[in-house]
Amino acid sequence: MIRFKNVSKTYPPNVIGVEGISLHVKPGEFVSIVGKSGTGKSTLAKLLFAEERPTRGTIEIGGWDITHIHDRDIPLLRRQIGVVFQDFKLLPKKTVYENVAFALQVAGERPHRIREVVPKVLEIVNLENKLDRYPNQLSGGEQQRVAIGRALVHSPKILIADEPTGNLDTLNSREIMDLLSKINEFGTTIALVTHDRDMVNRLRRRVITLEDGKVVSDVEEGRYKL
Amino acid sequence: MFVSSYRVTKFAFQNFWRNFWLSIITVSMLLLTLVTINILLVLNVITDRAIELVEDRIEVSVYFYDYTEDTTVSAAVAYLRGLGQVRDVETVSADEAYTQFVTRHANDEEIMASLEELEENPFGPSLIVKAHRAEDFTQIIDALDNPQFRDSIREKDFSDYQNIVERIRSTTDRIRGFGIALAIIFLLIAILIVFNTVRIGIFIHREEIGIMRLVGASNWFIKAPFLLEMILLSLIAVGLTAIIVYPTVAFIEPQLSVYFSTESAGLVDYFTYNSLAIFGGQFLALVLVTLFSTGLAMRKYLKV
Repeated sequence: MIRFKNVSKTYPPNVIGVEGISLHVKPGEFVSIVGKSGTGKSTLAKLLFAEERPTRGTIEIGGWDITHIHDRDIPLLRRQIGVVFQDFKLLPKKTVYENVAFALQVAGERPHRIREVVPKVLEIVNLENKLDRYPNQLSGGEQQRVAIGRALVHSPKILIADEPTGNLDTLNSREIMDLLSKINEFGTTIALVTHDRDMVNRLRRRVITLEDGKVVSDVEEGRYKL
Repeated sequence: MFVSSYRVTKFAFQNFWRNFWLSIITVSMLLLTLVTINILLVLNVITDRAIELVEDRIEVSVYFYDYTEDTTVSAAVAYLRGLGQVRDVETVSADEAYTQFVTRHANDEEIMASLEELEENPFGPSLIVKAHRAEDFTQIIDALDNPQFRDSIREKDFSDYQNIVERIRSTTDRIRGFGIALAIIFLLIAILIVFNTVRIGIFIHREEIGIMRLVGASNWFIKAPFLLEMILLSLIAVGLTAIIVYPTVAFIEPQLSVYFSTESAGLVDYFTYNSLAIFGGQFLALVLVTLFSTGLAMRKYLKV
């Protein structure tokens, strides 16, 4: 599903983001990418959804070589990859329903399809009773669930979660992790970027550890060791 | 495609309303530019009409001695009509000249008494020659120096209309030059304002644009509302220009007609018959200019 071959990313003038990363994530896997701050976790996530281009190496997503992806093809890639961030990135003047629907609207989906998909997705993230609430009327956990819902509307094969629990308390974090596990059970590949030790250890899934931009460990059913 | 176009249009209108005052300023500047251009057009029509009227009134009178034979006068008429520069030649016979003189001075007893004392018609035949253009008269006057009639011509009366026409032209050219300079300045300011409107629009929508990119909106979908908004502003500016220009020309038309002593100065007709070319052309030109400016702003500030 995801294949990195000797991928490096260097920022000008000579700052190393990641270096010589080679890894393969199989379809339906739940992989946690862990490491201290500044070790290249977010760079790795950005390379996955083509926010950054690698300086060296090749990246394949579902057999599609996105190493030198053309600007016009990036939207197509992003409709196949859901992305969730620590700061939720919701539109404050749109309701829960509108925030989720927005992802379909800008992709040109027809209104009847939007009316069909959005309620289903909001049911998955357990927000079917808060469709008309605005982000500031929701808890952090609920806001993150809206963001996850929005990431799911395109039925992505891969969901990238970049520090999704970074702004949440333990209870909300656990809810989010449970939700991600549930989504993974439906067959979506999850790439979780985090430095939340408890969450990673609770998951007992594959853990890739980064240090100074390099993979220093890659363990099935691993634990957060740093 | 239809759904996306509808949403792009919706976003463009949202941009317009969210930056309402900025939109108003942009439209005002575009309007100012267009009004200046239309003033130039009005000036052009008035100048053409004025020159046309002056040229229409230009004529040279050729007076023959009273002993001149009719055959000489007829030969002169035929010769003049053969010249490319001559529009029309009118012959006034000696008797007609006498009658016209008597009619004109019927109330002047002194003149009438003097005329009676002469006992015979003191007037000779004359010609009234009209040219196509003011500058043709020099050639016509030169042509009358032909030895065949030169000795029969007593006087050639020609006012310096060419000088008048040149003065009209030079005055209007100066006004036009000033107007063009003003229009260019307004246009440059309009380009800068459009650039700034788009820049601020991008800044206000940066969060939304970021999310659009994240969830897979195409580059076209992100950029199109800004382009459409500027087309909309251009359309409003052209519409307002037409609303201002028509009543204005309709208001000044009667006054111009009095000045030119004609039924119509032709201003309203000019704007009516050429409305599509004038306002359609201005709309297209404005769209090109605003899209160029929008393109520059997006290239600089909208990374998609």
